[in-house]
Amino acid sequence: MSDSILNARNLSKVVPSAEGELAILEEVSLSLDKGDSLAIIGTSGSGKSTLLGLLAGLDLPSSGEVTLAGHRLGELDEDQRARVRAEHVGFVFQSFQLLDSLNALENVMLPLELHGRRDAQTKASELLERVGLGARLHHYPRQLSGGEQQRVAVARAFAAEPEVLFADEPTGNLDSHTGANITELLFELNRERATTLVLVTHDERLAQRCQHLLRLEGGRRVDDEQSR
Amino acid sequence: MKRVPISRLATLALRQLLRDARSGELRVLFFALLIAVAASTAIGYFGARLNDAMLLRATEFLGADLVVRGSAPAAPEQIEAGSRLQLDHARVVEFSSVIATDDNLQLASVKAADSHYPLRGELRSAAAPYQPEQASQGPQPGEAWAEARLFAALNLQVGDLIEVGNKQLQLTRVLTYEPDRVGDFYSLTPRVLMHIDDLQATGVVQPGSRVSYRELWRGPASQLQAYQQAIQADLQPHQRIETAKDGNRQIGGALGRAERYLNLASLAAVLLAGVAVALSASRFASRRFDASALLRCLGLSRREALLLYTLQLAYLGALASIVGALLGWAAQHGLFFLLRDLVVSEIPTATLWPALAGIATGLVALAGFALPPLAALGRVPPLRVLRRDMLPVPPSTWLVYGAAIVALGLIMWRLSLDLKITLALLGGGLLATLVLGGLLLLTLQGLRRTLSGASLPWRLGLGQLLRHPLAAAGQSLAFGLILLAMALIALLRGELLDTWQEQLPEDTPNHFVLNVLPADSAAFGERIAALSDHSAPLYPVVPGRLVAINGEPVRQVVSKESQGERAIRRDLSLTWASELPADNRLTAGRWWNDEPGELPGVSVEAELAESLTVKLGDRLSFTVGGITRDVSVTSLREVNWDSFQPNFYMIFEPHTLQDVPATYMTSFHLPPGKDRELVQLARDFPSATILQVEALLGQLRSILAQVSLAVEYVLMFVLAAGLAVLFAGLQATLDERIRQGALLRALGAERKLLLKARRAEFGVLGAASGLLAALGCELVSALLYHFVFDLRWQPHPWLLVLPLIGALLVGGAGVIGTRRALNASPLSVLRED
Repeated sequence: MSDSILNARNLSKVVPSAEGELAILEEVSLSLDKGDSLAIIGTSGSGKSTLLGLLAGLDLPSSGEVTLAGHRLGELDEDQRARVRAEHVGFVFQSFQLLDSLNALENVMLPLELHGRRDAQTKASELLERVGLGARLHHYPRQLSGGEQQRVAVARAFAAEPEVLFADEPTGNLDSHTGANITELLFELNRERATTLVLVTHDERLAQRCQHLLRLEGGRRVDDEQSR
Repeated sequence: MKRVPISRLATLALRQLLRDARSGELRVLFFALLIAVAASTAIGYFGARLNDAMLLRATEFLGADLVVRGSAPAAPEQIEAGSRLQLDHARVVEFSSVIATDDNLQLASVKAADSHYPLRGELRSAAAPYQPEQASQGPQPGEAWAEARLFAALNLQVGDLIEVGNKQLQLTRVLTYEPDRVGDFYSLTPRVLMHIDDLQATGVVQPGSRVSYRELWRGPASQLQAYQQAIQADLQPHQRIETAKDGNRQIGGALGRAERYLNLASLAAVLLAGVAVALSASRFASRRFDASALLRCLGLSRREALLLYTLQLAYLGALASIVGALLGWAAQHGLFFLLRDLVVSEIPTATLWPALAGIATGLVALAGFALPPLAALGRVPPLRVLRRDMLPVPPSTWLVYGAAIVALGLIMWRLSLDLKITLALLGGGLLATLVLGGLLLLTLQGLRRTLSGASLPWRLGLGQLLRHPLAAAGQSLAFGLILLAMALIALLRGELLDTWQEQLPEDTPNHFVLNVLPADSAAFGERIAALSDHSAPLYPVVPGRLVAINGEPVRQVVSKESQGERAIRRDLSLTWASELPADNRLTAGRWWNDEPGELPGVSVEAELAESLTVKLGDRLSFTVGGITRDVSVTSLREVNWDSFQPNFYMIFEPHTLQDVPATYMTSFHLPPGKDRELVQLARDFPSATILQVEALLGQLRSILAQVSLAVEYVLMFVLAAGLAVLFAGLQATLDERIRQGALLRALGAERKLLLKARRAEFGVLGAASGLLAALGCELVSALLYHFVFDLRWQPHPWLLVLPLIGALLVGGAGVIGTRRALNASPLSVLRED
């Protein structure tokens, strides 16, 4: 348990709905060590994104507990959780989520600046170089293709050297070729930097590349903690 | 492909609208529209009804709502027309007559009135000269009332008999106040009031004698208007219609300005409403961007898609506007209820116009600013629309924007019936928008380069503004216009209140003195100087008549019923003075210099000169004391008729009239509690006529106080509406900020950083808006002062606090308004796909 960077115990999430309370996640537990990779798979509406949100501290569970990099998220307020995210977590989203008002370089600098890093610009340029966008530093998101935007997002995710990287359907909005490139990039960086990777996907092939697999159906975990 | 029938589109539009409403999507637009229409309706109604109420007060000075004046009795059909419209009627006949007692004669101006007179205001009288006055009905048949100076002149007591023509009347009271005497309260002859039933018996009124007949009417505004229209066509050349507005100078000026102010306030409200709706409408349109593309992918034609959204806007606009107009109508009722002790009890109901203008404003702004972006959708293949690229605005949409602005202008014009105000406000606003908007755009683009060195909160905050300079300039202009409208109304309020205060200061003369004999003038001057803290100089007065201009008989020069015509019909009070009177201002020529000209000089009041088409250097001929005298016009003067000082149309060069017997006149302010001294003064100078105008002053003051109060309340109302509209407008710009906030929080940003960024963004936006508002306000106010209010314009340096106010207001409102963005769950970034 001591090596565990991310630990979840009996996570449940219940939301009110027109037909009474609706459990969108029930009693899910998991534990990941540093450098592990986990794929969360399931059909739409199985609770994948909800689980990801809870693990990253974007939302709080109705019951159960998440420990991220030694912090019990349930005991922190939103600002404290934000600080934990800033220090330990990186994100890649399905719809890229770049800030339109910032160019590629500035988007990647953002987490570094939230950290108060003085070398933000150098570091960000290096990363963009690394993802193959060295010539596009000053382009704005609208001037980039979908694949390029996701590369910027990946660079941003790794910028602050997070211990845990959460990726929510990172290839969902991309064609298969571009998607494969992004996948490759993600795993390369993951290896290089010994980052723990939590990947939400419904792409079985992508999931097979992770060390651990967590299959959700109707909010319940249906695999049996299989490891590879 | 078969066309979709319009009925199905209408149903579809309604169904979609209801879905959108359920999801909260329409809240911003609906409430912006609601607030805008409610505010402009409320201010429109408040202003219009207050104005009517003020006019009603002013009708006192006419003794009626409407008067038909003529030198012969009104035709029976004219009376009939009024009775048919169920207007109240009173008749007054005025003429000059010599009043005889057993041993004395005095020329008096006699008024014979029926028992209904006056229809507005009241008569006041006293039991004996200089005794306390009371309001009461006029004299009964067989009785007469007279002014105190007639009692003095003929040495009369109450109860004595006087003869008016062949009829003997008993003096029963001393007349102290007639509501409709204001216009000529320092006329030279004392007033006698008698009952009209005795008129026949006097035998004074014969065909050809100089008599003024006045038919007084009272009733609701609509009926009066109908009456005016009914008789206008058959009005005899000798007849003239008078209403409160052209009643008298002191009140006319103040009311005119107040009316224009209230007018302006309602136009400012229309402007506010237009801006708020424009902001929200373009947001509505951009949110429909994807949906519309989808509908086109599903097979709807461009025309049908546009129609669908037009219908949606129409439903929404109609509902919000009607509810808004009702709310506004209710709000002004509430306001009048709060003011019930302060404003006149009788407040006329207003027409439907303010409500219609409010609704029309909402709909026009909605269509004008929501349709162009939607129409732009049709120009590209649906596939491209799916890529979410915003399109450049095609030239045709500028036409739509232009049409919307013209339509707003027409609404403002119809609402105010005042082209000058509309043009000044809308034109000035547009000009300021174009010029300042361009400057702003340039500045923003310049700033973009320097921003890279700034700290993170500033870059996050301003990045959004600078990335979309056109949108930022648009928002800044919109908030700038809102601040401009508020500042303008506040600015004018101050100026108007000051003007009115100056018009009737505490020590305004409340007594006029006529007929001071030359031998008494020095002693009289000393007495009133001791008695009063504020007195005018003693002016010599000589009656004289203008007979020719440049040798041409004056009757051929002037047009009928002009001010000039009225001036030459009677004797003018001519005076001479070596100094220009304090309240007068030269507008042309020079005051006397020492070089004697060919002819003696005369200084003519500017408006009269214009009416008589008299220019500098013209030769005027007067008959004075039976002799014709020629003078040359050496200067023109503006006269402040509101000042309660002796004022003259003609001031002669000194020494020109000194061979003619003159009397002296002056005015002075008598502090309260000195009545005994006044009686003593009247006894010591029996030839002098002292007129008390305290009652009139009181009336004027109370009207001005009410007008001032109205102006204050309208200001507060406009400010409140401006704030509401500012909030509503801000809400419309929040989408992108909320998304940005959620993302930043997911990436680990703390509230503090987001707050700082928001403060920087809205602070700068507000400061820029404030700066625009300050510059625009100066421009528009300069136009308004010059063309509308007839005030002298000076720069208002305090307007430069507007950028600060703007930063605080917009910054504060922005931060409060984007609380949702600060608190947005970071989870929402996972959901938004």
